[in-house]
Amino acid sequence: MSRPPRCPRRHPRHAVIGIRLTRARRGAAAAAAILALTACGGGAIAQSTPASNGQSFVSGTGGTTVFGSRNPPHAPPVSGTTLTGAKLSLARLHGHVVVMNFWGSWCTPCRAEAPALAALARSFGHAGVAFMGVDIRDTTTSAEAFQRDFKITYPSLNDPGGLIALDFRSTVPPAGIPTTLVISRTGRITARVIGEVSYTGLRDLISTTLAQPS
Amino acid sequence: MTGVRVPSGTPPAAGPPAQQGPGPEPETPRETAASPRPPLGAWGWARWAWRQLTSMRTALVLLFLLAVASVPGSVLPQQGIDPQAVQQYYAAHPSLAPLLARLSLFNVFAAPWFAAIYLLLFASLAGCVIPRTFRLAGSARQQPPRAPANLSRLPLTARYETALAPDQALAAAAAVLSGKRFRLRTGDGWVAAEKGYLREAGNLLFHLALLGVLVAVCVGGMFGYKANRLLVVGDSFANTATDLDAFHPGRAVSAADLQPFTITLDRFEASYVSSGALRGQPSRFDALIRYSPQPGAPMRGYQLRVNHPLAVDGVRVFLIGHGYAPVFRVTDGTGRVVFDGPVPFIAVEQAGLTSEGVIKVPDAHPQQLGFAGVFLPTAVDVNGKLGSAFPAPLNPAVSLVSYAGNLGMNSGPAQSVYQLDTTGLRQLPISPRPLAPGQSMKLPDGDGTLTFTGYRQWISLAITYDPGTLPVLIAGMTALAGLLLSFFVRRRRMFVRAGQGAGAHTVVDVGGLARSDAAGGFETEFTSLAGEISSACQGSEPAVGAPGAAPGPGPDSAVPAVDDPTGEE
Repeated sequence: MSRPPRCPRRHPRHAVIGIRLTRARRGAAAAAAILALTACGGGAIAQSTPASNGQSFVSGTGGTTVFGSRNPPHAPPVSGTTLTGAKLSLARLHGHVVVMNFWGSWCTPCRAEAPALAALARSFGHAGVAFMGVDIRDTTTSAEAFQRDFKITYPSLNDPGGLIALDFRSTVPPAGIPTTLVISRTGRITARVIGEVSYTGLRDLISTTLAQPS
Repeated sequence: MTGVRVPSGTPPAAGPPAQQGPGPEPETPRETAASPRPPLGAWGWARWAWRQLTSMRTALVLLFLLAVASVPGSVLPQQGIDPQAVQQYYAAHPSLAPLLARLSLFNVFAAPWFAAIYLLLFASLAGCVIPRTFRLAGSARQQPPRAPANLSRLPLTARYETALAPDQALAAAAAVLSGKRFRLRTGDGWVAAEKGYLREAGNLLFHLALLGVLVAVCVGGMFGYKANRLLVVGDSFANTATDLDAFHPGRAVSAADLQPFTITLDRFEASYVSSGALRGQPSRFDALIRYSPQPGAPMRGYQLRVNHPLAVDGVRVFLIGHGYAPVFRVTDGTGRVVFDGPVPFIAVEQAGLTSEGVIKVPDAHPQQLGFAGVFLPTAVDVNGKLGSAFPAPLNPAVSLVSYAGNLGMNSGPAQSVYQLDTTGLRQLPISPRPLAPGQSMKLPDGDGTLTFTGYRQWISLAITYDPGTLPVLIAGMTALAGLLLSFFVRRRRMFVRAGQGAGAHTVVDVGGLARSDAAGGFETEFTSLAGEISSACQGSEPAVGAPGAAPGPGPDSAVPAVDDPTGEE
């Protein structure tokens, strides 16, 4: 179960705990206690959860969480209809490393990361990596225009009611748009990126997951 | 502690121990300075600071400070509520804004100084209430004090004689008092009794409940969350972070903790007053929704109205707003339909619900397209100015300004869906002629066509989860009950002394003392108690003649106490 050294293992624990650790590291224990108690005021907004800022959607705050090799969470068996009307299920992609991207054509960081995703989908296309999108709060017209525009060829589930995201609630809930998950061949979530992915960052996460024994 | 200490070098005060006579009092400071008392150490300072912190005055000052400190939160734009307003403030006051930001004035409720005030207040209240609670608990368990030597000094007294031996008379008196659920203490020749401990229990309850309120508010803030969502008729959403417009979680809430319900909006109806002085005022809002507490569970119908929230899984969903979402279809220059859907517009005035909004078409070719404009539910033309005369959609129309160029959406920070960043855009030379449903406008230079296909309505929902509400309510009610108990229950004491009188008779003295005279009525109780004690003593020896009534220096109320038994016989 040894991990390849290239993995940017920043938060070896579960997502939320990992992020809290960084916060605790930032300040002394007393400061953390104060932070914890300021929530009593009711007005404080936790930094570990996505910030809402009146832009009318909850955007990702940026941050990669890598799940430890001991017990990475299982991806739920999501399925649905793609934007083109075909059936698609995660179970059918078993044996592939799956990159799952929650996006919307209206979302600025989603548009910013789209070229990187399209390029990675092309370069990993024959290496046993399947890409799939989950289109959130969108119309099929806009979503298809987006896919044409960014030359995205992988399928996306149409999820106007947020049900796919809801399926992930007990494992790794997408905490904002965009959110990208990397799922191993055995169906375990190995990494989550909240916010815009970078080409190199996601490439390394995919490579690490590909290198894991299946 | 220091005040109780008696200076050692004052022999006149030595008589009654631990009592400061009036004599040595003025000398105390000098004596203290002269005595080899160790200087106030770190522990002493800590004790002093703690006493200052937990004083009532400090708590009041902190409460006032908390109120003052939250003022900038409502005067200045706040990052957590309206970051765009903060950015506008930065633009308007470029030199002042960074200074204010350093003082956390754009994020008051998360500011360190706000936390400091809150924490100090919390510590002050807890530090005041907890020791008080212990004191009250001790007081509620206390034995009655010893009977004073001279009962005639008490406010209420009665005296009678009996043929019983002093011991028997005391036993009879004790039996009467314990029958009245007095707490008893007996000594040599006296019985002391006290009642009304419920007052202390009430006080205790009040203080504990006060602590409970503090804790419950804290827990509610930690584990609760607030969220908002705008929902167009026909759409549905799930209560998950990606599907919400705004999400304000408590510190202990993560995205995984949201209750997994889904809501579909089937229909929304708004009724307005159509004539008279209140014309245009909304009279009724009805949102017909279907909801499911969790995925897979059957959908249930609900009629959501203002102040009639939906309760699902402990979460409450309120209907807080509504508006129109005109539906547009945009064909770009290449002839492809690149946009087709409703766009929520936000009302800028209530009388006619004139609403503003923007349409962004980032995937249009050859250029990205943007539109900004107004939706008029009942469009009227008043002297060439377009307006809306009524909030209901009697004559809906949109009027749009068209832009082409770069929307700035393919990179950079997240944008508001309600604002158009026109820095990279060029306004198209086309008159903003109002469009009726079904009408189109052709963009110049072959950039495409926009069609206003119709409109839908939207509602906005406030989703609140506060696990502290019920505990706060319970604690609040308990505090009130405790307060009432401590107001209405009197703590009162009865003392009985029996001694050998002049003849063969035993003289029994009864004294009464109410420790709180706020609530009257103790005289009556005393009179009847003294009467019962007297009759109990004589009931065992009726042959003895009427006892001589000897009211003490107290009120005359003791007289009937001795007369009553004779009257009965």
